[in-house]
Amino acid sequence: MENLSLGLMLMAVGMITVFSILLIVIYLSKLLIAIVNKVAPEEVAVKKATATASAPTVIDPNTMAAITGAVNIVTGGKGKVMKVEKI
Amino acid sequence: MEDIFVKLYEMTAFGDIIADPSFLIMYAIAFVLLYLGIKKHYEPLLLVPIAFGVLLANFPGGDMGVVQADQDGMIMVNGVMKNIWEMPLPEIAHDLGLMNFLYYMLIKTGFLPPVIFMGVGALTDFGPMLRNLRLSIFGAAAQLGIFAVLLAAIAIGFTPQEAGSLGIIGGADGPTAIFTTIKLAPHLLGPIAIAAYSYMALVPVIIPLVVKLFCTKKELMINMKEQEKLYPSKTEIKNLRVLKILFPIVVTTVVALFVPTAVPLIGMLMFGNLIKEIGSDTSRLFDAASNSIMNAATIFLGLCVGATMTAEAFLNLQTIGIVIGGFLAFALSITGGIFFVKLFNLFSKKQINPLIGATGLSAVPMASRVANEIATKYDPKNHVLNYCMASNISGVIGSAVAAGVLISFLQ
Repeated sequence: MENLSLGLMLMAVGMITVFSILLIVIYLSKLLIAIVNKVAPEEVAVKKATATASAPTVIDPNTMAAITGAVNIVTGGKGKVMKVEKI
Repeated sequence: MEDIFVKLYEMTAFGDIIADPSFLIMYAIAFVLLYLGIKKHYEPLLLVPIAFGVLLANFPGGDMGVVQADQDGMIMVNGVMKNIWEMPLPEIAHDLGLMNFLYYMLIKTGFLPPVIFMGVGALTDFGPMLRNLRLSIFGAAAQLGIFAVLLAAIAIGFTPQEAGSLGIIGGADGPTAIFTTIKLAPHLLGPIAIAAYSYMALVPVIIPLVVKLFCTKKELMINMKEQEKLYPSKTEIKNLRVLKILFPIVVTTVVALFVPTAVPLIGMLMFGNLIKEIGSDTSRLFDAASNSIMNAATIFLGLCVGATMTAEAFLNLQTIGIVIGGFLAFALSITGGIFFVKLFNLFSKKQINPLIGATGLSAVPMASRVANEIATKYDPKNHVLNYCMASNISGVIGSAVAAGVLISFLQ
């Protein structure tokens, strides 16, 4: 009987603790999101910049070099990259 | 001449096996587990080492079975009672064999489960959870099975410590189950680890079974993307990368302050995640945590856990209780998650698919994948994977917190 009441108490304490901790984690994460959005919202800025820059389909020179290199290896130097398009 | 044959016979294990045929049952169990791991691909990374450990432990004279010390740490060594914690490691290796050396050094000290948690953290992406924070709360509801089975196990005669170890199977997290059992009831480590990993492997069977019992077709067809369009979330993340770096640091600090006993698990999980999210600066640490260290830890954990399953320790009524209780804990955790979603839907305009509650138990990412399959069966366009991952990942935190509570109250 004593053990059963211990089990009941553990059930109540355990479930309340798990809910409380996860609620704290959720609200703390929301706070964190708000702080990060205010202090360091750079990812959006980068995305916007690349979105406008990519309008005329400019391929990064490093990416172009990698693609050309891969084509050269696969075709044994016979293939040529004429055009690279973003799909 | 006859003497030589007698000595040869005594050298082999046959005599002991004939005297005690229960070893044969253990070989059969090891072969079945090996079959499930190799042929059926049921958690092979863990089930294969565990099954081989079972095999190694049950060869009489092989000295590869783990000998459990009692609650005070006393153990019989060559006819003399000794305190295992006062024995130097070379003496353990010499007197009790290699597996006891590994077990008492790596497992009984609680070293390996947190190391594995570090690897799990390095392989976990908290992105889906951060994007769907509201859904994370269902990771708490799905811990119901742990405490419900704890209560039921006490009622049928398990000690509170044994009941806690049995209940934690409902968290569907192998390292958490092992860590808790080491602390509370180390003599049950073998059957509890086997039950935990077997049921985790059976997630594709258990979740559909419970979902079919408690969910209607209409509920399973709730389309999360449509709900999101109807009632868009107010939280917008502008810099996920920075957020993902800060998240493990903040969560560790908060959990450590509230439930310090969960720190070995949550702390290592979050450390593993942090070195992943930092990126190239810590990529070597990430590589070690998620590959070499994780793999080595898994091998030793599996073999040692298997080696605790000697015929003497495994073949008893308690093991049957653990197998049944483990299943109940698992099923009740899924049910708890489902019913919490149903309750939530009663009070909210934005409806949530109950599958998101069902995935509140750890078993990442298999539970989410299974839930997604169920949802797409009813509506091929209804992909719930990302939403399920939110509750699934928070379930890892939830089960570690539940383990922390059990350890602090019962140890």
